[in-house]
This record gives sequence, structure tokens and C-alpha cells, in this order.
Amino acid sequence: MSCVLKTLTTKKEIDTVIRDTIDKVVVLRFGRATDSVCLQLDDILAKSAREISKFGAVALVDIDAEDIQVYVKYFDITLIPSTVFFFNAHHMKMDSGTADHTKWVGAFHRKQDFIDVVEAIFRGAMKGKLIVNCPLPPERIPKYQLLYKDV
Amino acid sequence: MATLADSFLADLDELSDNEDDHFEEDADAENMDEDIDAGMADIEALNYDDLDNVSKLQKTQRYIDIIQKVEDALKKGTDTSYQGTILENDPEYQLIVDCNALSVDIENEIVIIHNFIRDKYRLKFPELESLVHHPIDYARVVKKIGNEMDLTLVDLEGLLPSAIIMVVSVTASTTSGKPLPDDVLQKTAEACDRALDLDSAKKKVLDFVESRMGYIAPNLSAIVGSAVAAKLMGTAGGLSALAKIPACNVQLLGNKKRNLAGFSTATSQFRVGYLEQTEIFQSTPPALRMRACRLLAAKSTLAARVDSTRGDPSGSTGRALREEIRKKIEKWQEPPPAKQPKPLPVPDSEPKKKRGGRRLRKMKERYAITDMRKLANRMQFGVPEESSLGDGLGEGYGMLGQAGSNKLRVSRVQSKLSAKVAKKFKEKAFGSSGATSGLTSSLAFTPVQGIELTNPQAHAHQLGSGTQSTYFSEIGTFSKIKRT
Repeated sequence: MSCVLKTLTTKKEIDTVIRDTIDKVVVLRFGRATDSVCLQLDDILAKSAREISKFGAVALVDIDAEDIQVYVKYFDITLIPSTVFFFNAHHMKMDSGTADHTKWVGAFHRKQDFIDVVEAIFRGAMKGKLIVNCPLPPERIPKYQLLYKDV
Repeated sequence: MATLADSFLADLDELSDNEDDHFEEDADAENMDEDIDAGMADIEALNYDDLDNVSKLQKTQRYIDIIQKVEDALKKGTDTSYQGTILENDPEYQLIVDCNALSVDIENEIVIIHNFIRDKYRLKFPELESLVHHPIDYARVVKKIGNEMDLTLVDLEGLLPSAIIMVVSVTASTTSGKPLPDDVLQKTAEACDRALDLDSAKKKVLDFVESRMGYIAPNLSAIVGSAVAAKLMGTAGGLSALAKIPACNVQLLGNKKRNLAGFSTATSQFRVGYLEQTEIFQSTPPALRMRACRLLAAKSTLAARVDSTRGDPSGSTGRALREEIRKKIEKWQEPPPAKQPKPLPVPDSEPKKKRGGRRLRKMKERYAITDMRKLANRMQFGVPEESSLGDGLGEGYGMLGQAGSNKLRVSRVQSKLSAKVAKKFKEKAFGSSGATSGLTSSLAFTPVQGIELTNPQAHAHQLGSGTQSTYFSEIGTFSKIKRT
């Protein structure tokens, strides 16, 4: 976990963050502190947290906490790290060419990639869209396989 | 304090030959009579041989009295004689004022005696004056060396720093001086003695003033130190006078006006007087010294004003002010706060700055829609347009080449392209010779009228019509060409 970013452990904390952040993109990272990919992502999030502070807020969620399992089930988080975006309490979806539009799975290649994604979400949200297109080229988007229940 | 002038004037009134009187200036108050001759004396008759002609201070009554009082007061130690009387009436205060003036006089006197010694000793050891600058040190060294030619027999330890002793010994071995005659030697020795006595007297006077400074002006001496406080008071002419001086002038009290003609003033420090000698000033880094000096002057003026009205006899105001000054100077020396990276601005929050003007317009013209394209975009009502592949396939031509117009191609109007591009285009299109465009054909196929004959010369005259002047035209052709 980064010391700069807030870590949320209870459902109430998550609720407050999502509800009370007005006109800013809320970036919630679901993951574990022990995973290496998580750490990579955390590093990028921590470095860019200040830069996007005017239009974005970053928080980390530990999926090992009991309170959080509700959200884990709700967002169907199976691969970590997963990042979910909100804007004014609306869940923002992003089409990055992968199967799952509701979240971003994996880390980012560069800090600038992350900032671009947040900016795209912000612009779309300000226009009133609930799903936006990903501005990154496909080679920068981490690929993953979704596991289905009966594979 | 033109003691030098005074001494010269005094010399005018007396004869040149005076005996060297033996005198003492300690506790016994001896009145020396001055031989004042009524007769005139030439300045040329000034007998430089005699010390007394140039150095009179120690014989004056004033000097002797003051020294006497100082001795007594120092012996008495700290005394609380004054009891709330008005400062000016206090006899000790008067003594201090006198002491201030006297110390300045003594300084001048020492300079005079130093000149005297130097002139006399030049015959023996001329280089010494450039090696040892300080007058008192010089006097001590001269006294020690005496008439000795071999400096290895002379021990200068403790009088000078060892590096200088070495230089002096080396120079002495190669000096061009000769030993002095006895009487000159004796006079020089006495002059040295006198210089050293004056120096010790000055020290005594200053010590006395400093010790009393704590009583007279406790707050002021808490800030600048008693020596500087005494000097300031002396120059100002009293504590109440000092209190009346505005701070900017206090800063300049004791300013040495050094207008060294021809020497560089780049290194000289401006606008600092006695305050330069304060501990606070000496301990600030050179970059902050000017600011510190101004601050010091301001606060010390405040302290002087407090003292002159005896508002705070304990000196706590002075100490508080000193603490304030110290804190301020420390604050100036703090490094600036570390720069933090700026967060990015909110996207689309700042409207884009649109530019305008002639340059932009010219740039936009290059991509503007041409007349040809405009015609191709429009259609006439009821008239089917032609297309590139025929029969409605391909790109439509719109009103280009419709019946009623003489031309299949629209002639180019005077374009607003830059002259360079236009010229290039002209060369490509028109070729170097010929008055007409090589692309025009005489025949135009139109659906209504069949074959139309076009007059290839028709648009050649177009340019001559209307208000368009052909003189400055970029694509203008010759108006009349002789066919050969």
C-alpha cells in the first residue's frame, strides 16, 4: 500500500468516498498489497494522485477485508488488481477492447496512460456519457482471460 | 576635531626651539606651562625635530583633568550616584560626553605621532612602515628594535604575527638604512613611549564609558553593545540628541567618507557607520548585511528613545528588541519552501485561446473552399448534373460545366495565395510562353445546345474588366500580344 493513498477497509468508507466526491473521477483500486502487479499499479497511482487531484481522487480498497466482499461480488472482481471508476456516484464504464467494460483489469504501462484514461472518463462524464472509449492503443492495454463459471 | 590644524596653528604662536619636558600623566596632575610667544613664527621655522611641536594633546589641561576623573571613577567602581536626576545634569554624564570627544582627539593624536616616528625612523629602516601598518604596533616594534642592525638579536615574539616577523627579519637583512644618531634615536624612543601611553589612556577612557553605558543607556547597549553605543552617543552629542535623530541618519553616524579618487568603489560598503562594528552586523552573511543594518538602525533608534526618557532602566526592552532582530535575520536565511509539482488543470475547463489577425486569415485561405468546389457542390434545379464516371456514378460536377457558361473549367480569380505559390502555379499551368491557358479547349459539350464553341480569348480579357487592375495581378497576362 502506498502511504500517500488512502486505503479503505469498510463499506461505509467506500460509500462516503463515492458519494461525497463531487465533480471528480473516483478511482478505486481493488487489490492486495502483496501482489506484485498491484504494487506496480499502486506506484503509478501514487505518483499521479497529485497531478490529477483537480479532477480525480484515488483510493485503494483491500479485497481481503470482510466488509468489502459485498462490493467484490457486486463488481464481480476476480482478477486483481481491478480498478473501478465513478463520477458523481455513477459507475463509469470504459470500452478498451476487452471483454469487461465495467472495470480496468491490470496495471498501466506508464503514468501518462493512467492520466489519459482518467481524462477520457472525465470528459465523457462531463458530457453526460456513462461509457467512454479508451484512448490507449491496444498494445498498451493489459490482456487477460475472463474465467466463466462453467469453463 | 581638527587637531592637526590646531597644532599647526599653535605652532605659529611659539618659537621653534622647545625643550623636551619630562612629564607624567597619571594620578599627579601636573600643570605644564605652555610657552606662548607673542611673536610670529614662520611655518618654515617649524622644527620638525621636536615632538612637542606636533603633539600637544597630552599637555592640555582638559586632557589631564578628564583622565584624572576617569581614573577616580574607575577606582570607585560602579556607583549608583545618580538618583533619577535629569540625565543632562548628572556630572557623570557630562564626563562621559567629554570622554567621547577626548577619545576621538586621542585617535588623531596617535596618527600624528605615528607620522613623526615614521619620518624619523625612515633613515634606519624605511621598509618597516609598509610592513607594519597599525600605528601602535609600529611604535612597539620601533621601540624594540631601537638602533639594532641585526634583527636576529631582536625578539619580536608577541608583538606581531609570526609571518610578519619573518618578513620583517628578511627585509631588515637587506635594508638600505643606516643606524640613527643618538639624539634622534632618543626622540624616537620617547615618541614611541608617548604613542603607547596615549593608546593606554584611550583604552581607559573607552572602558570607563563602556562601563557606564549600562547605566546611561541600558536598552541601547543591549542591542548594539556598549562600545558602539558610546560612540553613537558621542557623535550625536548626547543621548537626547541621539534620540531625536531619525533611524536612517543613525545608520550613517560615523560613516567614513572615503572618496578615493581613482580607486574602485565596487568593493566599498555603502551607508554603514558605527553600526558596522556591532556584533550582530559582523555575524550576518554579507548578502543580508544591508537589510540587517537598516533593521539595526531602526531598532537601536527605538531603544535610544526609550533610554532618553528613562522608560526602562532595566534594559529588558533592549534585550527584547535584540531577540526580535536575531529572529528576523534567521528567518531571512531560511531556504525557500520546497516546490511541489503542480496538479494538472481540469480538462476543458479553460477555453482555448483563439487567435485572430491577418496572419491567421492568410493561413486559413490556403484551406478555404475554392469557387470551383463551391460550384461543384451546388446543383441547378431540374438539371441533372454530370458525373465523373457518367450516368450518376462517380463524383458529381454540380454546376461546373453547365450550359450557359462558356467554360468547362472555371477560371481562377485572383487568388489570395502567396505570391511565391502563385508564381509556381502560374509557371506550371501557363508555361513560359503563350497568353492563354493550355487547358482550355475550344469545344464544350453541353447537353442542351450540343457543341459549344468557346472563345479561348474570352477569359483572357476578363481580367481587364471591372474594377480589377491588371497592374498588380499575379496571374495577369499581357493585354496585347503581337502574333508573329
